[in-house]
Amino acid sequence: MTRPPAHRPRVGSRTRLLAALLAAGLIAAACGSGSGNGGGGGGGGGGSTSGPTGVVNISDEYGSSWTCQFNPYNSSDVAFGFGPVYEELVYVDGLQSGKATPWLASAFAWSNGNKTLTFTIRSGVKWSDGVAFSAKDVLYSFDLLKKYPALDLNSDWSVLSSVTMKGTNEIVANFKTAAVPYFYYIADETPIVPEHIWSKIKNPVTYLDPHPVGTGAFLMTNCTGQNIQYTANPHYWQPGEPHIKTVNFPAYLSNTPANNDLKTGQDQWGSQFIPSIKSFYIDANPRYFHYYFIPVANVSIFPNLTNPLLAIPAVRQAISYAIDRKRVSQIGEYGYEPPANQTGIVTPTYASWYDSGLAGQYGNAYAYDPHKAVSTLEAAGFTKVNGVFQKNGKPLAFTIINNGGYSDWVAAVDVIKSDLAAVGIEVTPDNLSQTTWNTDVLEGHFELAYDAETGGPGPYYEMRQWLYSPNSAPIGQSASSNWERYRSSTVDQLIDQYAATTSTSVQHQVIDSLEKVMLSQVPVIPVTEEVDWYQYDTEHLAGWVTPGNVYAAPAQYTAPDWGVVLLHLRATS
Amino acid sequence: MRFVLRRLGFFVVTMWAAVSFNFFIPRLMPGNPVLAMEAQHPHLGPQAIHALTILLGGGGHQSLLGQYFQYWGHVLTFNFGISITTSFGTSVNSMVMHALPWTLGLVGVTTVLAFILGTFIGLVSAWRRGSLLDSALPPIFVITSSFPYFWIALLAIYFFSIRLGWLPSSGAYNFLNDTPGATWHYVGDVLQHALLPAVTILITSIGGWILTMRNNVITVLSEDYVRMARAKGLSPWKVMWGYAGKNAILPNLTGFAMSLGFVVSGAILVEYVFNYPGVGYMLLNAVNGLDYPLMQALFLLITVAVLLSVLAADIVTAILDPRTRELG
Amino acid sequence: MPTSQPVVLLDEALLDDDVASEPRRRPGRKLWSAVRQNRKATVGALLLLFFVVLAVFPSQIAPYSPTANSFAPSLAPSGAHWLGTTAQGQDIYSQLIWGARLSLIIAFAAGGLATVIAVIVGVSAAYLGGFTDGILSLVTDVLLVIPVFPLIIVIAAYLRSAGTTDMIIVLGALGWSYGARQLRVQVLSLRNRDFLEAARVRGERSLYIIMAEIMPTLTSLIVATFLGSAVYAVLTAAGLQFVGLGDPNAQSWGTMLYWAQNSEALGAGQPLWAIMPGVCVALLGAAFALLNYAFDEISNPALRPARTLGKRAVAKAAGQAEMSGNGTGPRRRQPATAGAAAGSAAGAAHAEGGHVPA
Repeated sequence: MTRPPAHRPRVGSRTRLLAALLAAGLIAAACGSGSGNGGGGGGGGGGSTSGPTGVVNISDEYGSSWTCQFNPYNSSDVAFGFGPVYEELVYVDGLQSGKATPWLASAFAWSNGNKTLTFTIRSGVKWSDGVAFSAKDVLYSFDLLKKYPALDLNSDWSVLSSVTMKGTNEIVANFKTAAVPYFYYIADETPIVPEHIWSKIKNPVTYLDPHPVGTGAFLMTNCTGQNIQYTANPHYWQPGEPHIKTVNFPAYLSNTPANNDLKTGQDQWGSQFIPSIKSFYIDANPRYFHYYFIPVANVSIFPNLTNPLLAIPAVRQAISYAIDRKRVSQIGEYGYEPPANQTGIVTPTYASWYDSGLAGQYGNAYAYDPHKAVSTLEAAGFTKVNGVFQKNGKPLAFTIINNGGYSDWVAAVDVIKSDLAAVGIEVTPDNLSQTTWNTDVLEGHFELAYDAETGGPGPYYEMRQWLYSPNSAPIGQSASSNWERYRSSTVDQLIDQYAATTSTSVQHQVIDSLEKVMLSQVPVIPVTEEVDWYQYDTEHLAGWVTPGNVYAAPAQYTAPDWGVVLLHLRATS
Repeated sequence: MRFVLRRLGFFVVTMWAAVSFNFFIPRLMPGNPVLAMEAQHPHLGPQAIHALTILLGGGGHQSLLGQYFQYWGHVLTFNFGISITTSFGTSVNSMVMHALPWTLGLVGVTTVLAFILGTFIGLVSAWRRGSLLDSALPPIFVITSSFPYFWIALLAIYFFSIRLGWLPSSGAYNFLNDTPGATWHYVGDVLQHALLPAVTILITSIGGWILTMRNNVITVLSEDYVRMARAKGLSPWKVMWGYAGKNAILPNLTGFAMSLGFVVSGAILVEYVFNYPGVGYMLLNAVNGLDYPLMQALFLLITVAVLLSVLAADIVTAILDPRTRELG
Repeated sequence: MPTSQPVVLLDEALLDDDVASEPRRRPGRKLWSAVRQNRKATVGALLLLFFVVLAVFPSQIAPYSPTANSFAPSLAPSGAHWLGTTAQGQDIYSQLIWGARLSLIIAFAAGGLATVIAVIVGVSAAYLGGFTDGILSLVTDVLLVIPVFPLIIVIAAYLRSAGTTDMIIVLGALGWSYGARQLRVQVLSLRNRDFLEAARVRGERSLYIIMAEIMPTLTSLIVATFLGSAVYAVLTAAGLQFVGLGDPNAQSWGTMLYWAQNSEALGAGQPLWAIMPGVCVALLGAAFALLNYAFDEISNPALRPARTLGKRAVAKAAGQAEMSGNGTGPRRRQPATAGAAAGSAAGAAHAEGGHVPA
């Protein structure tokens, strides 16, 4: 089989979230101690005094019907509750380089050489069942993750040494070593749950949580296999929020009905991959239908560095030169995913980190140059025999494994194959089922693999996923990231250095060094930049994320950002 | 009686074959699906893993024979486990029960309609041999009955849904605006969503009925007793209904009961194109997501449905046609 | 092949007379003229020929290579691209032409495989009789009744990456049951015919009897079985590929439909991309079906058992003059021969293309 009728060329989405949670990432500098006032992300000016109105329907195909489980510590269910129902301590906007907005914590501060993080917990917040929220709930949540590692999706406790309560409203988190980048995972990615409910649950790991009680702007009021309905929480702690009354989240088993519902206007907020989006979607209602795809990470070719031919840098360099990334982007991804570059820095999202001088030294970050590819191989002693380069009788012929269910990835790899064939490297695509491909990638059973890491609020996170050797594992064992099995103690040290600092200049230095590694050693070959799929309908709703105003990651499948988006939305008619 | 017993025996043998298929096929394939499942779903508890191992093999704890018997035990107690990907944690039985009514409704009704209409048209066409109807219909329907179902469905969607916007192109009802219940609104919504898929199945399947009936009637018409009836001076209408029709319909009737079984499997593609939440659609989604427990349960359900129809068909045949009883 | 002994030669002379009086057909010339005369068969044959030409000479007919993805994607039909381009920048018209090859290969290979198995099983079962017949018939009936399309889907799910060869093998291995049933019935009806009895008495080996005596009478039925299997193979393969269970990189009409569906071709203003491959599948299926239907008519009178040759054959021959198709193939009659009624329930509906899931 293995060609699931290609449903959702799901570029990451849920697996993106999953992998993000599994990876031990670190955080971008939270700019030292920030202390803000209450009332974080409420958009839309003064709240309307007439109460929330309007409906927004979401179109995001998951390929399955709803199970109506909302346990935020379960990787399959977290995206449904975390955001609108469950909330975080501090909201970090990954697309604005980690801009922090205090949320359930009204203030936070680093101390003790960036090894201690103190949160001041907001007062006046209530759980949706009326019980008061307090620092005790925060303490309880972290203790829960410590007691049940299966719930610790972000591996918070791999860097925490203790979490204690100070006074009545302060939570002090102590780290084993300076772990500044971890702020993102501790503060933004850890949902807080109510102690008075969860302490009575016998086994939180299998707890289904069908009627979630949270502090968020919305209540989960109705759930069937086909639709989840959220309604505005009248006692939400941000005054005047939310502006929207009802949110519907229907379940779609395949892409076509999800896309059709966007096209007919029945759904207003899409997180869909839509082929030929202009003629399919925009043209149906050009005045009000919009889309905006924000690049967030790279889709890359992962060469298995234990393979003797692929261990030769010249081979990897040649591959990078030989691929016409523009064409891959055009043909495989309809142009939605911009071409990537060999530094691995996602542009324009993280353009401020891109070292153009360095890139210039390497053919403008390995811009498409088939002649260079050929000359690189020839310089390394390869000769062309019957149209394929070889050395010592070993031809450059590889298989590349791919997720057969992502039709856009299948098309992209097809273009890669023809590009590489043109320079004399033979590549055979192996389109596998999602599960098989995933296992093979994690366990290193491949020669070349086409996949994407999840990244984070800055280029550091993806680099760490690619290059940090503790993330990797021997062939045959499951590696959470660094699937190409790259090992370098120098690089490991650089990565640790970044983690320990809050100085932006040190951070930039480290990233530049990592870019140099990407350019000179080519351990991973980025091809296109993965985007957040996002469509929006402005006919009856305002407050959307727009190109000039990226206040949150706009895809439904990114938590807790989608809760922030819902807070900004308001009905205009 | 012997006849019925023989058929029941056949039923049992076929069920055994189907269940054994389900058991052996995953074990013959390369790879270890249980390991893949574990990697993909780290939250699967040990109980679920064990259930999967019984289903798919790969666990080294039990002998093959032991697993086989355990599998049979599960099947006979309707223990089909939980869905793994389509709706993690939901019992397969409940999911199947949700989907079954939609398929039975859509495809059952259409098949009955196709049978009635097709038989009638076939009868008339054969009666009026040489007429325009008769010379035009058979070639047309030979051609249409070799059309792929899903292609007709695509055409229907394109013309009636996308271009004209008359009818919806997917789903069984609009679940954002409707809740299931005995209201006219709901019923109307359901009918609206069912119209295109139903017409698709009707167009593609009616040809077979027409041709079969027509050919049966032609054969019967040349039988001696029909000639006798005509010679006796009976009115054409009476001959057609009383003699030709009744005898010609016999093979059609057995075919009809038989077709009820094909109802479930033949509409898989139609459901897929229309995203109609029936058994066929669920099977394809289960296959895409490699939801093995759901997949196997659906396959067994479909086989059982077909077998029951065959059994019913044979019993009906035995009742109506004394000749078959003697073959016992 | 015959082991001759003097006494055999003598009997052969007698035999020859017997043989001559049997309505045995020599396929070939008679068949050809029959095809020419029957309108349906002509149309079907021409269609098939058309596709065969496409399959054999695609590079001469198609303007571009089917995989050349250097064109601008999603172009509307124009002079350079008669049907436009796909969303991946490939010429739809060229893909359509090249697709004929794989589709025909699948039709002939899977159909052929199914026919071969059907012949072996059906003839052996009827000829060997007894216990062997019981087992073979049981297997045939079981396979006949188990719904094949869902079974193929389930098998495809377990195969890690189903290539076209796998699909052909699976289709062939599961599609023989109906033909086997038909052949068995036919051979059973011949079993006690004089010419076979004579051959047995002569001392001919079973293999010879089967190959030289029985098989020629089955030619038309075998052809009909092949044509029916070909329809089934074409439609089922297209269905599997459409749903994504085939190889998405293969060049066939089914995979074109798959990509068109995936790229929302219908909704994005590219209906031809989704419709045309379906037209081709439909036409190819229709070609086989027409030929099949026509073969029923052509072969019917000759294959009728001798004892009923009289009146019905006359009526049929008279009716045959009207070329509007009035044959009743053996599968459409309620078989009068004993032993076939049990299979008829399965047979009748199975025969109709409209009921075969496709």
